[in-house]
Amino acid sequence: MKSPSAIFNMTIACSAGLVTLLGYFIPPLAGIRDVLLQWAVILAGFALLVGIINLLSAHFRKLSKAKKGGFYSLVLILSFVGSLIVFGVSGPDGSWSLLLFNSVQVSVESTLLALLTVVLAYAAIRLFHKEVTRATVLFMLTFLIVLVSSAPLFGLSNTPLLSELREWLSSVPIVAGARGILIGVALGVLAAGLRILMGVDRPYGR
Amino acid sequence: MNLNELVTNLPGVAFILLFLILILLFYFTGRKRGTRFLRDIPAFGRLRHSVGLSVEAGSRVHFSLGRGVLTGLPTGISLAGMTLLERIARAASSSDRPPVATSGEGTLAILSQDVLKSAYRSMNVESQYEADAGRFTGATPFAFAAGAMTLIKDENISTNILLGHFGSEAALIADAGEQSSSLTIAGSDEVATQAVLYAMAQEPLIGEEAYASGAYLGAGAVHVASLRAQDILRWIIAAVILAGALAKLAGLL
Repeated sequence: MKSPSAIFNMTIACSAGLVTLLGYFIPPLAGIRDVLLQWAVILAGFALLVGIINLLSAHFRKLSKAKKGGFYSLVLILSFVGSLIVFGVSGPDGSWSLLLFNSVQVSVESTLLALLTVVLAYAAIRLFHKEVTRATVLFMLTFLIVLVSSAPLFGLSNTPLLSELREWLSSVPIVAGARGILIGVALGVLAAGLRILMGVDRPYGR
Repeated sequence: MNLNELVTNLPGVAFILLFLILILLFYFTGRKRGTRFLRDIPAFGRLRHSVGLSVEAGSRVHFSLGRGVLTGLPTGISLAGMTLLERIARAASSSDRPPVATSGEGTLAILSQDVLKSAYRSMNVESQYEADAGRFTGATPFAFAAGAMTLIKDENISTNILLGHFGSEAALIADAGEQSSSLTIAGSDEVATQAVLYAMAQEPLIGEEAYASGAYLGAGAVHVASLRAQDILRWIIAAVILAGALAKLAGLL
């Protein structure tokens, strides 16, 4: 038997969801829909703050229990406090804040982006170590044609045949496949939404 | 409300109503039929097996919900992720090391904690719940990925499930899973990310497969009914597209 709080949560969630959905089809409900969406945005903003507290508390716990990688937790906490002080004193657009952002955040994220390139190239090679199926062969062929015809490599990108092949791949089979996938995704989203409106899925607790 | 607005909105309302009617129809008529009609998706079979092995071996399941905001388009995949997280938490509730969920969005972190707590409560093992089982690992895509990668390396993870809104950073998380010799099952709503995951994950979930976890992992008859409704509607959409193309070819449109 469901507890009164669970029934209350479900009623609030389902009615808010239903009003928001109907707001897209029945214009008089659009005002209420907008208010609900604004509340959701405010809550999401507050949730980021809660998320940061969660991140810090997880690392505090890791540090206090002297778990593996505790040193990195210490670096994270000190970096957080340092950033908070710099951004608090200098402001979000201040010179010290921008210096910190450009020298640490941008450079670290650029490094990870570069690493991602290597990881993806390695993944493409590794794909052939898996079971070779028609799908993997097709995937790799398409990948190689698009890569070779796009990259400035030995002037290959200027070859008319390759350019035309890439154009055709990009505008016919790739678009068709992507749209097919997107239709499936859209139906999945709709099904997930309807299950929540019906009270079957309850990500807000039971 | 004028007539024009009504006519414009009618197809959308009709489609949603049709979907709802089909779900209810398949729910009431198909309860005895069970899941026999479902095609085989190897990822879910391996997932069930791998979670069982994790419980026995005392290793951990890592679930990443991505960084999709709950006020935008990625909501659907994030909610599908929550459904699967609940199933996994229930299946691994007897483990010494309960699953850990990571996300790159504050709301998802809070919801994942709630889902885990609710799952343990319903299994009468609320003591299994750990305060940091639902973690926010970073606010930017790469910070989120870096946090998840560290967790995979440090916490004896044997199964990684990535189900949510990810960008290309999902490749880094999947690679960390590969490096630690753990199984990685991954799905996303982004088409480009699906291509990346097809190459990176041992078991990629493509397109609507990412939304089918509830039906395949026994979340209830409504999940199976909604999957059947999705199949019917996909055929209808395909028929409409084909009819449109033929009508255009014949010069009718």
